[in-house]
Amino acid sequence: MTVAIVLLALLGSAWLLAVIEGWMATGRLSPAAPLFRGLAHLGRESIVPRSPDRVFFEAAPVLLLVVAVLGMAVLPLAPDLIIADLGTGALFVNAALAYVLVAVIMAGWGPDGAYGMIGGWRFLGQLIAYSMLIVMPITAVAMRAESLVNTAIVGSQAGLWNIVYQPLGFVLFYIAAMALAFRAPFDLPSAEGELGGGVDAEYTGVRLAVLRLARLTLVVTLASATTVFYLGGWHGPLLPPSAWSLIKTLAVAVSMLLVGHYLPRIREANLMRWCWVLGIPLALLNIIIVGLLILVVP
Amino acid sequence: MYAQAFFVAVFGLAAIGFGVVVFRTSSMMRSALALLFSMTAVGCLFLAMQTEFLGVLQIMMMATEMSIMAIFMVMFMMDPGGLGGMDMSHQKRFSIGAGVSAAVVAIAVALLSDWGPAAEQVVDAQAQTRALGMELLGRSMMIFETAGITILTAMIAATAVSIPVKKLASKDGKEASE
Repeated sequence: MTVAIVLLALLGSAWLLAVIEGWMATGRLSPAAPLFRGLAHLGRESIVPRSPDRVFFEAAPVLLLVVAVLGMAVLPLAPDLIIADLGTGALFVNAALAYVLVAVIMAGWGPDGAYGMIGGWRFLGQLIAYSMLIVMPITAVAMRAESLVNTAIVGSQAGLWNIVYQPLGFVLFYIAAMALAFRAPFDLPSAEGELGGGVDAEYTGVRLAVLRLARLTLVVTLASATTVFYLGGWHGPLLPPSAWSLIKTLAVAVSMLLVGHYLPRIREANLMRWCWVLGIPLALLNIIIVGLLILVVP
Repeated sequence: MYAQAFFVAVFGLAAIGFGVVVFRTSSMMRSALALLFSMTAVGCLFLAMQTEFLGVLQIMMMATEMSIMAIFMVMFMMDPGGLGGMDMSHQKRFSIGAGVSAAVVAIAVALLSDWGPAAEQVVDAQAQTRALGMELLGRSMMIFETAGITILTAMIAATAVSIPVKKLASKDGKEASE
């Protein structure tokens, strides 16, 4: 039952994001548009490029979707609404998200196309840099909760949310989550203007439909992770816990879309420099500040 | 108990299967990612044996490590896609001999060792993680810190030697060479 509810929430959130994405792109609010677009993809010819690495080409979109769903499986919507409350939940989120890299590299290499391959390798550099900004802020979150269990992490924010307790960590995690989901302005692996779609370029038909769904699901999973780690998870007045989780997750996801809509794509060199020179020292500083706070404030 | 034994066997066989694929393919990408999935299967093996932290850590670490290895293999090998039909193996007889004897030794150790009684019950994942943390920041702290500093030093040294010495060359009045 829990599995069905979580999957339904994930699918519903992905649908809502697709509606808002379409609204921002076309200026028309059409709730049925994602459904029609999905059906249109299914109806189109699913072209296989010449001499592909067939295993990678076919497996990449599915792997991306599986990884996004696995990440969501350890994030709680309510105290008892979680598929698997692992003893190492926060670490498991990292582990699942690391395979986004594998899926994107496979999607880049698989079709035997130059644009896709450049996109895939670009993401390698991007994720190795920004996964540090996922892991290190989560470390500080786990330090405060004194646990890697995600329900315990939400429980530790009952009095004060982590966004207030460690705002620096929140900012770094939010930026890194956008880079990991390769949404604009971090969409260098699938840059339409310069790489003709990058890793998406060679995918058509049903494969493209799965890839699009996987990317939207990934945004929802990352928004849910932000909610669990920084926005107090299910905590909130009046409404039931799961409603608060969903509201916060959707708010974070929509904010990611809006930020991407209004910011220009960042240059590759700047993207990397900012992370290694500025982001990682700041993440270390965040760990030190949180450590001092834990020691000083009872 | 039977389910646990079943999953240990499945992930063990998967690890060996992907390990074989590493050597059966000419594509550097396939080889690197087969090694990745072999290591992931080992991580799942840890999970099946109820060592959750080690399992998740193994699964997480291998994804980025093997991807980095893949790009280095693609950069340095002559035929990264394996499409040119280039034979990149060498010392075949010696390799087969070494591989078979290593496998025999490993199987002999597995069969002949006295493994002691199997643990009926293990502590839960949270207690394991806590115990591991206490170990890492207690008795084993010096070992891990030394290893960490050594790896960091090696990384800095490798980066330093890979930077072109343009400035030094131009100081001597020579053309910059890379």
